[in-house]
Amino acid sequence: MRLMERGAKLMRMLRRWLLPLLVLALVACKPPGAEPLDAEVSIEPWPPQVRKSLIVVRVPPDLDVVELKVVGDMTHAGMIPVHGEGERQEDGTWVVRDFDINMRGDWILTITAKDREGKTYEKEVRFTVR
Amino acid sequence: MRTRIDLLRWPLIGPFLRWRYSRFVLQLPLLLLALLAIYDGFVGRQLAPKNLATVSVWLHYRGLLVLAIALVGNLFCSACPLMLTRGLTERLRKVVPQLTWPLALRNKYLVIAITLVYLFAYEYFDLWASPWLTAWLMVGYFGAALLVDAFFPAGTFCKYVCPLGNFNFTLSTVSPTQISVRDRQVCLDCEGHYCVNGRVDTPEGPRPLAFHAEAEGTRYPGCETRLYAPEIKSNFDCTLCFNCVRACPYDNVTWEARNPAREWAGVRYRIDYVWLGVLLFFAGFMNAFAMIPAYYTLAERASELLHTRNEALLLALAFAVWVGLGAGLTVLVARWASRLAGVAEGGLAAVRRWGPAFFPLAFAMWAGHYAYHFLTGWASIVPVTQQALANLGLPVGEPNWQLAALVPENLLYPLQVFILYLGLMGSAYTAFARARGAGRGVAALPVFLYIAILVVLTLWVLAQPMEMRGTLLDPGSQPGGLK
Repeated sequence: MRLMERGAKLMRMLRRWLLPLLVLALVACKPPGAEPLDAEVSIEPWPPQVRKSLIVVRVPPDLDVVELKVVGDMTHAGMIPVHGEGERQEDGTWVVRDFDINMRGDWILTITAKDREGKTYEKEVRFTVR
Repeated sequence: MRTRIDLLRWPLIGPFLRWRYSRFVLQLPLLLLALLAIYDGFVGRQLAPKNLATVSVWLHYRGLLVLAIALVGNLFCSACPLMLTRGLTERLRKVVPQLTWPLALRNKYLVIAITLVYLFAYEYFDLWASPWLTAWLMVGYFGAALLVDAFFPAGTFCKYVCPLGNFNFTLSTVSPTQISVRDRQVCLDCEGHYCVNGRVDTPEGPRPLAFHAEAEGTRYPGCETRLYAPEIKSNFDCTLCFNCVRACPYDNVTWEARNPAREWAGVRYRIDYVWLGVLLFFAGFMNAFAMIPAYYTLAERASELLHTRNEALLLALAFAVWVGLGAGLTVLVARWASRLAGVAEGGLAAVRRWGPAFFPLAFAMWAGHYAYHFLTGWASIVPVTQQALANLGLPVGEPNWQLAALVPENLLYPLQVFILYLGLMGSAYTAFARARGAGRGVAALPVFLYIAILVVLTLWVLAQPMEMRGTLLDPGSQPGGLK
């Protein structure tokens, strides 16, 4: 009986204090993210259409990029992201071929570049497909 | 004599729901999820498909909500974490004046207005695309529940303000379960009406909590939305909190399996309840229509015609025209049906008679739409939760974003068609049962035709390619590349 009373008291205390305590517990430091990527991005064809497209990324010449990935997300939760691997061209630009823009609407491209030291750089661009 | 199945007699379920902390146990996971979602919405990446705020609210909450309503009942009100503000509410009540909810607002019209404003805001501010705004929406909800229930009697927020709760109430008219009583005579002999008034177990025996608020003893609150268990004929206003079950000292309250068609055919709803059902169908249609190219084409035409590029104005106009048209046509069709039935009644009385035919269809409309989004991205809750926890510094591994879609896309439209047909059948049954009740089956024909046309229109909308765009009017192409 005493145990039950203690349990009930604990539950009452939890109900009363849980919300403020959890709010405080969630105030934590966000881990550092990637560095910003100062790149120029273009899509061919332009204006973008629902079809497989070419993404061209020009990274600054002082950045020794060894890997570049492009992820396309729509602005609605639950939509399937589209992934593309960049290929380095002789002129130093990176291209992603057959990038499948598969639905009309607002898109966000996230370009992630990795340099020789493993440091990552990120850029986000937005466009609309009509 | 029909067989009655009381789910409270089932092992585990009954004892659990009778336990006074069962609701808290149900609320706790949703509260933790809500807090994590709010945190991620504010500080996480502002990308809707990759943020817990937008994924949990616009995908999982909505998808699981309609699934729970269809299979069991209004479980989300049951587990509503907003009610965990009660601890703070009780403290605030000691310092703020206690007011009574105005008589003029003791109906669903305020909820209808809030729902329309909310749906307008959803489209205008692209809430679905913004984790930050979604997090604010959640915070606003907690704040509104706290404030309303601090100044007004408990349950006021649920019954008269909360658009989500009232959405759940309306849609749960299709649910296969309902609170009822085992023996009505026990209720007739009961002086305490504990299911509504609550119970406090004093040394002298049980007393109604509402009239013995200061008495010492274990307390079991009654129904906060003031439903008297033996009078319950519908799931409207029932938050499925099971307070009535725990408060009844005679163990006379049941949670029964039922055929919802009995409710559609037999219950005479108040007119404000019916309007809420009708509005939810037309608003649901608008919500789906706003995601297809035809909507944007119409917006461009309206913009040219009215010589304005003001999106707020055009959107408000679209809402007003569509919902107004829906309400107007519903009155005309209902009057026509009443005339065929040989009943001389005004437009509102006719809507009250025939409008409940919209309840199954309103459910099907939202269920079809939500099912699409939920099934295309149901597994995305795993990587977004991982990412949100990782932001808190927890070692949860690398999120796998390919988990977003695990249901073949070619199954989605047939599923939506199936849901819509079920809704049409439910609505047709309601219309014909009500017509038979009025003495002339043929009177249901205008309602049936009206609803069938709306279903065809809905199927057309759902068959269109989606265009999820944040701007109503064509934003135009930026020349050159993207910076």
